[in-house]
Amino acid sequence: MSLRQTYQAKCAAGLFGLLCALSATVSFGSDLLTFKLEMQDGKFIPPRIEVPAGQRIKIEVHNIGKTAAEFESVELRKEKVLAPGAQSFVVIAPLRPGEYKFFDDFHLNMPQGVIVAK
Amino acid sequence: MGQVLFIVWRESVEALLVVGILYAWLNNGDAAARRGLPYLWAGVAAGIVMALALGAALLGFSELLSGDAQTYFQIAMVLIAAVLIVQMVFWMRKHGRTLKKDMESSLQANTQSGNWWGVFLLVALAIAREGSETAVFLYGIGMGQQDASTGALVFAGVLGFALAFLTFYLLQLGGKVFSWRRFFQVTEIILLLLASGLMLTGVEKLVDLLMESSDWFGSLDIMSSLMAPLWDTSGVLDDSSTVGSLVATLTGYRAHPPLMSVAIYVIYWLVVFFALGKSSKAPVQKAA
Repeated sequence: MSLRQTYQAKCAAGLFGLLCALSATVSFGSDLLTFKLEMQDGKFIPPRIEVPAGQRIKIEVHNIGKTAAEFESVELRKEKVLAPGAQSFVVIAPLRPGEYKFFDDFHLNMPQGVIVAK
Repeated sequence: MGQVLFIVWRESVEALLVVGILYAWLNNGDAAARRGLPYLWAGVAAGIVMALALGAALLGFSELLSGDAQTYFQIAMVLIAAVLIVQMVFWMRKHGRTLKKDMESSLQANTQSGNWWGVFLLVALAIAREGSETAVFLYGIGMGQQDASTGALVFAGVLGFALAFLTFYLLQLGGKVFSWRRFFQVTEIILLLLASGLMLTGVEKLVDLLMESSDWFGSLDIMSSLMAPLWDTSGVLDDSSTVGSLVATLTGYRAHPPLMSVAIYVIYWLVVFFALGKSSKAPVQKAA
């Protein structure tokens, strides 16, 4: 019993340690190629973002709608919850050329958006 | 309106699966197992409080989750939840042998009650994770002036919760209708699948974070081969679709899985199967 709990505690502590170390090494470079994306009650502006392949990029997401939004892409392994008016960003690791779909998880009946890497 | 209903149900169903299955397990068990129920309900209460706090943070009422903190927090929560679920399944396997079978002679089971804090934490995490998103979603609905009247949307939200509780009720019913053994087997698989999805999401996000934050790591040749999709089954089930993303959450399904994800998934199931085989042999050895 106590062994298992100690193990769990160690796991948790290890994980947090790793995350802390990660956040320390993160370089929030403002030099990243940045694209803007606005979400408005399920609508993406623009619905198609062309980005260069093989390069880290940053997408600034702004929820200008009146309802909450969740920027999500299963392919890109991203999810970001945005309250009405909230602004945030996602950094995307270098992409291979191709198309990557994203969608608003809170407005699933709306057309999806796509990131095209060239 | 159907959207609201579906989203509320979907956001609650994962947490309700965890809570519902644990509740059925404990409630159908012996007196010792039922001693875990207060921990479960305490976990529910703590989860709801955490969900509201997280929801408030997501809404920007506090700086708690600003910037990348949301990502770190998500990663930590999904990985801890995945570990707890797997550990719970194994604990139940060991403990479950005495459930139902010898309800009367459960005094010796007293010593096995060390897992209750695990129950508490698992339930709290499950509710906090999904509940915070539901809170933000519902807040948005409350604030937004939409085409439909607010009353209709509130109704849809309530209906979504009702649907989620129906899921919970069906689970409890399942525990009574089917044989305990069958019910246990099925729910065990549901939980292990859920944990596989959480594990995959957590590790993928962790690797992604490394690739985002370090040019050196991101430009490694091995990383680009690890992250290249192995196949594309989006024609069969698109993980960006309504059903597909739900399946992805509940089972770890990916329409374009990179080599790394496939490897993690295979390793996860190999470890689980190996350990399950071992754990079902263990009590026999003890008895001998």
